[in-house]
Formats: sequence, structure tokens, C-alpha cells
Amino acid sequence: MKIVIYLLTITLLTLAPFLGQLPIELTNITDSTTIDYKLFWSIRLPRVLVAFFAGAILSLGGLLFQSIFKNPMSTPYTLGVATGSTLGVAIAIVFGFASYLSIFGFLGALITVIVLFGVTLRLNGYQTNALLLVGIALAFFYNASLMILFYLSNESQSFEIIRFTMGSVEVVGLNTIVPIIIASIALLAVTIRFKKELKLLLTSNNYAYLKGLNIKKINTLFLVSVSIAVGICVSLTGPIGFVGLIVPHIVKNIYKKSAEKLIFPIFFYGGFFLVISDLISRNLGTSSSIPIGVVTALLGGPFFIYLILKNKN
Amino acid sequence: MIKLKNFSHNILNNISFELQHNQNLIILGSNGAGKSTLAKVLCGIIPSPILIEGEPLKYHTNRKKLINYIPPKMEIFDEYLTLEEYLELSKINTLLEIKNSLKLLEIEHLKSKPCKQLSSGEQQLTMLATALLHNAKVTIFDEPTANLDPQKSKNIFSILKSKLFHQKIIITHDLNLAYRLGYNILYMKEGKIDFYDCSKSFFEEYNLHKYFGNSVKKVDNFIMVNL
Repeated sequence: MKIVIYLLTITLLTLAPFLGQLPIELTNITDSTTIDYKLFWSIRLPRVLVAFFAGAILSLGGLLFQSIFKNPMSTPYTLGVATGSTLGVAIAIVFGFASYLSIFGFLGALITVIVLFGVTLRLNGYQTNALLLVGIALAFFYNASLMILFYLSNESQSFEIIRFTMGSVEVVGLNTIVPIIIASIALLAVTIRFKKELKLLLTSNNYAYLKGLNIKKINTLFLVSVSIAVGICVSLTGPIGFVGLIVPHIVKNIYKKSAEKLIFPIFFYGGFFLVISDLISRNLGTSSSIPIGVVTALLGGPFFIYLILKNKN
Repeated sequence: MIKLKNFSHNILNNISFELQHNQNLIILGSNGAGKSTLAKVLCGIIPSPILIEGEPLKYHTNRKKLINYIPPKMEIFDEYLTLEEYLELSKINTLLEIKNSLKLLEIEHLKSKPCKQLSSGEQQLTMLATALLHNAKVTIFDEPTANLDPQKSKNIFSILKSKLFHQKIIITHDLNLAYRLGYNILYMKEGKIDFYDCSKSFFEEYNLHKYFGNSVKKVDNFIMVNL
């Protein structure tokens, strides 16, 4: 059954670059003189790949955050990491560092993670919703900072930032997407390499400690890896919310296995989820496609409330 | 040997404490007296300058083989981690097979059930199974029989009494269990050690009256709660 689902999704993923307002002839994609060739290799394929690897990073990042903070609602997005990254990118746009977007994105993510980590150490344990409130407070703070940047920026910069905050997987050219592919594979590799440690984190911090785990070390490793990957991802796509919340939850409910056994499915279906969201957003029949971040947020907002209600019981 | 000197933390007030090699111990005391806090200090969950075999605990390279703590309640985050997977994480210092530990605690039928879905008694038995598998040099049990029915309690008593563990520290409210095990008794009161001596002297009429007033009576070699 699971293999059938995999095959189905792989088929859909292969078809995804061909679906859109302008149809592409399969035979034309090897002929470099056609428009289809350009459309396929510089626009459609990069777009599908970015969507896939961004979704994979965000949902695997969600899984790791949930395991570290022991809270099913913590993700890089809900804890303000993506917003921090966005702020970093906006700073780069306004102050003329446009060629260093990734680095600024990463720094924004990293600073947020350091703040979160410092707060959890003071909260005396991780199992608390207070962390989510800290995430909200951080998001408020970052949004206010963004407003200041809007105020300081000129019209075209403002427009660039606004479009950026909506989240989009529109990219041009295959070479722009190399960093995000490397980042996502690296995050997957780190997670698989430290699978046993992740499994211990899924019990409780005390249990993991007594079994010999150096919790600070493993948490730092995972948090830094996620920030690098999310930073690179956000600098390319802008903040795309709720993927890290929805995908791990649904995959766990389907497989009914402990999370450390679901590393690859969560990675894979995270990618799939975002490719499908992108297909929806660019095939709604409107003259220009709706930014993907808007689509995921529309789906994710209600889902977040559902999760809160479910956790109450 | 475990040694702690003049340590204060939260409720714990200037605690000095020594436990010889191969000596078992029972910790008694009213609610909120600081028993669990002391246990967490001993196993290192709460950082302290505690010495184990003459060296600070945090400098031991093989910390996990030295000391283990079994809390009164299971804490687990993952919804689907099964009992058997939970036990696998504890296979540290033992020759005992997982299936034998399941048999010993009569929880074989639950092995593929997620820990989150177990009852509190079943969770307690699961944690005792992890103690067997972990088999640290010192194991601290925090109220190991609190959620168990009388039959299971009796089974746990015989496991605790057996030679399956190296050295045990047992926190309990069950005076009969404490009395039957016959280990040294440490009684805590308001964050301080109020009594630390052999079982025989603790269970004398005079001390029972001092610590429990009229609520406890010794009848025919049983410690009864006087309801």
C-alpha cells in the first residue's frame, strides 16, 4: 500500500513541471531551439524542484523542532525562525547587500534559534507552551522591525520585501537552486546519522540524559543544522508557513510509527505537499499565480487551531 | 560510594550524605520533603558537585553505567513509540534479553502498544523493565509501587528483594515495603536529613511515634496505617 502511494506521488511529481497555463510538449524538452525547452528547463523544473526541497526542509525542520522542544506545535515558522530569517533578508535588500541574501537569511534564523534556546534553558525544561508565546513575541518584534525597514526603504525595495514575505517558489534557472538542494540533502543526512539520538529525544529529556545522551550537544547540532537549512530556504523562497506543522502530523497519523522511523517519509511528503500547493496556486486560473506562502497559510491557520483543540484532550 | 557535601538546592537545605559501596537504602519522608529532588541530585539530572567513586559525576566517561533513576511517572513525547522500542533504548549494561524482562514483569502482551496508551500501572511496570535492562551500578526507584495493584506490588517486592540489581535506593511511602526490605533508612523532613540509620532502629516504637504520630502502628510484624 505504502509503495503504491510512493509510486503515485512520484508520478505526480514527474508530471508537475508539465502542468501549467502553457502546456509543454514532451518531445520539445530536448530540443533547445523551442520555447518549451526554455520554459521547462529554466522555469518549470527549477520551480518544482525548489518547491520540493523547500517543503522537505520545512517539514523535516518541523519534526526536529517538535522533538527538541517536545511540543507538537513548534516549527521553525511558529517559533519565529522563518520570520527572523525574513527580517535578515529584508535588511539585506534595504541596505544594499542583495547578493548576500542567503547569509543574512541564515543569520536571522540563527539569532532567533539562539534566543529560543536561551529562553528554554531559563524556562527550566522544554515541555512548555511558554515557548510558543516567546515565538509569537519574537514574530511581533520582527514584524515591527520590518515596518521600520518599510519606512526606510524606497518604493521598489518595499515592493520587493512585500512580495518576498508572501513566499514564492518562482525562480529562474537551475543554478539558483543548487544551495537549497544541498541544504536539504545535508539536513536529511544529519538527521539520519543521529537517528538514535533523535529517538532518545522523543522520550523525555531526563530519560535521554540517563541513557547517556549529551542533550545540549545534540540539541545544538540539530538547531544549527535546521537554521542553516531554513535560512537558505527562506532566502530563496520567503517564509512559507505551516508546512512543518501539517506534514509531520499527517505522516505520523498515517504511518502510526515513532517519528524517528519517519524521517524519510516526512522529508519526501513535505516536498510533495509543497509541489501540490504550488500546482494549486499556479493553476487557479487567475492571471498571475497566488504566492504559495498564502496558500499554505490559508490551509495551515485552521489546521493550527485544530491541533490546539486536539492537544487539549 | 556516593558522596555529597553541604549541598543546597530549592527545598534541599545543606544536605550532606554518604552511601557506601553495595549498600542499599530506603528514603522515606512526607510529601514535599525533598525526596525526589534528592534523587535527581544523586543521578545528576540536577547538577551538583556529587562524587561517585571519588570523582565528580559529570567527569565520568561512563556516567550512564553508574547511576539510573526511575521516576514515579513516565514522561514521553512521541505518540507512537512502542513499549518494546522504549525498552531497546535502555539496553545498556545487561545480558538480560528484552523478552525476559517483559516476562519477569508480566507485560509481554503489551510490547507493541505505544507507551502513551499504557495505563499508569503498565507504564510503571515498563519503567521497572527499563531499570532491569539498564542495570546501572546504582538504581534509584522513585515510588516504584505507587500505581500498582497488590499482586503486582508483591511481584515488584520480590524483584527488588532479589539479586537482579547491584545497588538500590528506593523512595517509597509504603512502610511495609520498607520494613520488609530491611535496608538502611533515610528519613527526610523539610529538605533536611532527619534520620539515617539501620532499619531496625527506625522501626522501633519510639521512632515510629516520632515520625508518624498515631497514624502508624506495628501489629504482628506488619506496619499498619491506622485509619
